[in-house]
Formats: sequence, C-alpha cells, structure tokens
Amino acid sequence: MTQAQGGVRGWAAARKGHLSRLRFTSLRLRLVVVFGLVALTAAVSASGIAYWLNREAVLTRTQDAVLRDFQQEMQNRAGLLRTHPEQYELQRTAREMATSSQRFSVLLVAQDSDGTDISANSGALNGFSLQDVPKSLRTAVNEEQKVDSNNKYAYHLYWQRVVEDGTPYLVAGTQVINGGTTGYMLKSLEPEAKDLNSLAWSLGIATGLALIGSALLAQAAATTVLKPVHRLGVAARRLGEGKLDTRLQVSGTDELADLSRTFNDAAEALEKRVDDMAGRDEASRRFVADMSHELRTPLTAITAVTEILEEELEAESGSMDPMIEPAVRLVVSETRRLNDLVENLMEVTRFDAGTARLVLDDVDVADQITACIDARAWLDAVDLDAERGIHARLDPRRLDVILANLIGNALKHGGSPVKVSVRMADHEVVIEVRDHGPGIPEDVLPHVFDRFYKASASRPRSEGSGLGLSIALENAHIHGGEITAANSPEGGAVFTLRLPRDASELAQEGEEKKST
Amino acid sequence: MSPVPSLLLIEDDDAIRTALELSLTRQGHRVATAATGEDGLKLLREQRPDLIVLDVMLPGIDGFEVCRRIRRTDQLPIILLTARSDDIDVVVGLESGADDYVVKPVQGRVLDARIRAVLRRGEREANDAATFGSLVIDRAAMTVTKNGEDLQLTPTELRLLLELSRRPGQALSRQQLLRLVWEHDYLGDSRLVDACVQRLRAKVEDVPSSPTLIRTVRGVGYRLDTPQ
Repeated sequence: MTQAQGGVRGWAAARKGHLSRLRFTSLRLRLVVVFGLVALTAAVSASGIAYWLNREAVLTRTQDAVLRDFQQEMQNRAGLLRTHPEQYELQRTAREMATSSQRFSVLLVAQDSDGTDISANSGALNGFSLQDVPKSLRTAVNEEQKVDSNNKYAYHLYWQRVVEDGTPYLVAGTQVINGGTTGYMLKSLEPEAKDLNSLAWSLGIATGLALIGSALLAQAAATTVLKPVHRLGVAARRLGEGKLDTRLQVSGTDELADLSRTFNDAAEALEKRVDDMAGRDEASRRFVADMSHELRTPLTAITAVTEILEEELEAESGSMDPMIEPAVRLVVSETRRLNDLVENLMEVTRFDAGTARLVLDDVDVADQITACIDARAWLDAVDLDAERGIHARLDPRRLDVILANLIGNALKHGGSPVKVSVRMADHEVVIEVRDHGPGIPEDVLPHVFDRFYKASASRPRSEGSGLGLSIALENAHIHGGEITAANSPEGGAVFTLRLPRDASELAQEGEEKKST
Repeated sequence: MSPVPSLLLIEDDDAIRTALELSLTRQGHRVATAATGEDGLKLLREQRPDLIVLDVMLPGIDGFEVCRRIRRTDQLPIILLTARSDDIDVVVGLESGADDYVVKPVQGRVLDARIRAVLRRGEREANDAATFGSLVIDRAAMTVTKNGEDLQLTPTELRLLLELSRRPGQALSRQQLLRLVWEHDYLGDSRLVDACVQRLRAKVEDVPSSPTLIRTVRGVGYRLDTPQ
C-alpha cells in the first residue's frame, strides 16, 4: 500500500487511491461479507450443537459412574455403621469409602451416643466440610420423604454441580436409611472440563478455518464476476475516449458473456454510425470546397468585366443611362460581396479539411497593424497604441486577416474610436481591440465566434459574410494562439488576441503530421 | 521592348479568357490569347511577347509544365494565374520558375499592376558595375557574368540581385525585398523571395547548397556578401 510520504500531496494521493479501491471493491466487499456470514452461522450452529451434546454425554457418563460408586460405598460401608458411631469409626469409614476407583472425597455426618454432631472427612481434598455443601442440597438430603407405592425410600441421593475457584465440582449426598449417618461426596470435574475446553478450542479453530475458507471462496467468486466487469469498464471507457474499434473477447455462455456480446454489438453499431456520419460530413465538406472552386471560375470572369463597368461609372458619370446606372452599381458592389463570400468559404473549407498551412515570416507587429489599418483606410478611426520593435515569427497574411476581421467588426458594431494595443507577455504577443460601443449582450458572448451567427434574427442584414470572426479564430488557432471576447468594465467590447512569438515549432509539427 | 507591352494570355476557360483580354486591353496592353498550353507555346515562338500570363489548370500539359518548358530556353517573365490558393500549388508554381502569381478571382487592376511591376524589373536605372568575387554585375548593360560567362537571369532574378548588390553586406528582410523587387504591399508572399533566391543561387553560386554570395540571415532575410 501507499506509504505515508509526508506532505499534503502524498496524503491526498494515498487517500484518493484508498477511496477508489474501496469503491472498486464494494461488490467484492459485499460478497465477502455475505459468504462470511453464511459460513459463520453454519459453523457456529454446528459447533454449538456438537459441543452441547458432547458436554452432556461426557458429564452424564462421569457423573453416573461416580454416583453409582458413591451409592455403593454408602450401602456397603456407611450402612454398616451404628446409629450413633464414634468419631474414629466415622473417620475410618470415610477413609475407606474414599479409596474407591472414582477418587472422590467423602464427608460423613452423624450423631454420637452423647447426641453431639460429629463429622469426618476422607481428607483427600483439603478440608471438605459442610460449608462446601450447598444448603439446598443439605436440606434435600436431610428431608425425610413419605414412603408410598411411588416412593420406596425415605431418603434419596441428591447431586449438584458447583463451581469453586474456577474448578467445577460434583457434590452429592444421601442418608443411610434407618442409619442416621449422612454421607456427602465431592468429586472434581476438572479433567472433563479440560476435555470439553479443548473440544471448544478445536471447534473454534474449525469455525475460524471455515470463515477464512469462505472469504477465499468469496474472493474467487468475486474475481470471476468482477474481472469481466472490470474489462467491460475499461472497454467502455476506451469507447468513450473515441476508440471506436474497441471490442471485447467473448468466452462462455453466461450472463457476462451475453453482456460482452451486447457491448460489442453496440460498439460496432456506434462505429458504423460514426463512420457514416463522418463520411457524410466529409462528402458535404468536399461539396462545399468543390462548389466554391467552381464558383470561382465564373466569378473571375465577372470580376474582370465589372471593373470595366466600374471604370465606366467613375469616368463618364452622367453619360450612362440613369435607369441603368444604379443597376450597374448594384452589380459591381454585389460582385465584390460575392467575391468576399466565396473567398471566406474557401478559407473555411481549408480549415475544415485541415489543409490550411502557415507561411511564416519575421515581422514587426506594429508595422503589420499599421499597414493593415492603412490598407483599409481606417487610420482616422483607429487609435493604435503599439511600439515598433515587437518582432514575431508568424504568417503575415493570416495576422492581417485576424486584425482586419477584429478591427472591422469593432468599427461596424462598436463604432469609432477603436483602440488597438499591443504588448508582450512571456512568449506571447497580446493584441487588444477595444471599441466604444454598447458591448456584447451576455447571451451572445459565447456565440460571437460561431459561423453565420447573427445576434438577432430581426437584425438587418450586415455587410459581413458571417464568417469573419470564425475565420479570425481559426487563424489564431493555427498559430497556436487564441482569441477571447469580453466586455470591458468601462463599456465596449474587448477582443484579445494572443499569438506565440514563434509559431515555427507548431508549423513543423503540422508538416510532420501531414507527411505521416 | 515595344512601348505598348505585348502579353500572351494562356487560359482555357472562354469566359475568363475573354474577360481578362477585355480588361487588359483596356489597361493598354496588346493581348494575344491561347486556350491550351500547346497553342501557347506555339504562339510564344511566333510572337515573342514581353510577358506571359499563364493559368495553372490547363487541359493537356498544365501550367507548371508550360512554365518549365519556357524556362528551359527563355527568361521572359511569367505570371501564374492560379484558381486555387492552396499553398502547395503556389510552391510548385514558384519552383517551376514563375516570377509572380495571382489568385483567381483577380481584379484586372491588380493583374495590371503586377504585370507592370514585373516589366519594370528589366529597366536599367544606373550606369555602373559591381564585382562580387567571380560575379560581375553590369548595371549599364543589365548583364551578369560569372567567370566571364554571361548568366541567363530572368528580370526578377536580375532585379533581386541588383537590389541586394546595391546594399552589400546589409541584410534585407523578405518583406523589404518584396517591396523593392515585386512592388508588393505588406502582404506579399515571402515564398516568392525564397523561391527566387533558390533559383538565383542555382545560377550564381559555385555550390548552391552552401552559398557564399547570397547568405541567409536567420530571423531577418538575405544578404549579399563579397567572398573572402
């Protein structure tokens, strides 16, 4: 198990491992507990019954033998005593009686001729006296019973088991009929108790063994169930990670094999479905790519001639038919829009197909921004806060696309002045574009980079293609950079572009991926 | 060179060919047209135009192959007209010897500007000569000789060498060279410079793979050195 390593991390790791282990084994734990309980119940009841029966058998046999002997001795020896014996006679008889094979101590009680109570013991057990005999037993022994057809004798033999100082004893007593001498015997049951104790121990050990055996069995059973379950879990996780070719080996005909087969069928169906969808997706992408290529050919011809029309408009304004002039203007402006749209569409299909490549160059970021703003005649509307000398290795054309889209978007939706600032952070160039408009509504914020996302359906058709910010984001991603949109606390939307200072490693990786 | 530049436009699509012919004629060029590469090469031998505008996607032999065949014998400027701005096309086009390229759909004004920029590269502007090792650049005659032998350079290669030789030992960035030689704005494709430098090295260097004259300055651009 994990050793305590000191430090919060080690502790946390150990704790985590422990928890996951517990969770993983919960079924195992339950199986072990159930098996254990069953084994315990069976073993304990069997042992208990065996112990009890044995105990009764052993004790009864010993007791019967002793009592029979004692009775015999009483008849043979104490019965021969006079009604009022002397002390020494009593003593001798007691000793004689104790010599029997059963090795019990004897206590004889009688009244001598003077009427005083005398007693004598065999002496084998230290000081066996009347105090050792329970009072209830003495009463029962001394009680004279009526003699009738059911009861032939006035006195009976009584016995009782007592425990003194942890040792069990058998005490018995009886009175000689018409004799007056009362005899008690005391027999240690220690050997029997020892036998029973060792029996109890062996039964206990057997129970323990049964428990251990059941635990092992439970483990084995749990393993046979849990291993396939675990395999299934691993396979399901792999499937979830997108490895759709994951299959389980099916062996046997049990429920788990059924489950594995079901899993395989499901995985196969899923793989097929995903393949179908990917194929359809691919086909539609190819269609869009082909379509935009095809659109270019007529568009090239149209663009070339619209320029002639445009020049005509500029050069000889007024000479054209006033009915036709707006139509020509519309054709010219819409052709330009169509050009932009097709251009953006092609850009998007290149990103989707993964064929977009970086053409890297070393550029001065501030120069690039200035040139970008200048080329689009935005110099008056943009407030640039950038120092020359921030060099970066990136694709200037793609940087221009990003900047044009971000600044253009800010000008369109936020209104001037648009503030553009550049700073360095670690290995990144951070360019912030902030406008002074109303900002972006919170519910629109997560969707600003979505393709063709319009803030509201009722909003008038805007100039853009609806692809601008999405293309800007893709261009940032291909550099290994990112664009985030937020609202400034001072009002207005802020788009933050982060680009690595040197994108060449990423470009190389892309090339390698392409070549493999 | 005639006062009105004569162009040869090789383009297979009728509509584009007609539209570009219209547009370029309006810009003041004399335009001859061909619909296939084979026709174009035949016309080239007959008419000797000042410049060729060449579509990449042609039936039969494609634009790249036409470009390579022209370059075998001729150094006249070629502008590629590519329908796809896919990067691989551009690279192949530049390697096959094109001086510049434009992506369809192209505005006639842009194409005109490119054509004029390429044609300007052959104009002389100074009357002196410079020597770099065994290389002699005669700015008066607009010729370059290596070990006394005339080198066949395209106008673009010649202009690049002239611009570099005007600032010997000084590194020029790709963007600077694009402005000076190609007259492109800030978004010029730096691969134009790289491809042209490769072609130039193949002609002027003793060992093109380890150049001693046109040196690469990492993180900046290129520089012309006098060999030690």
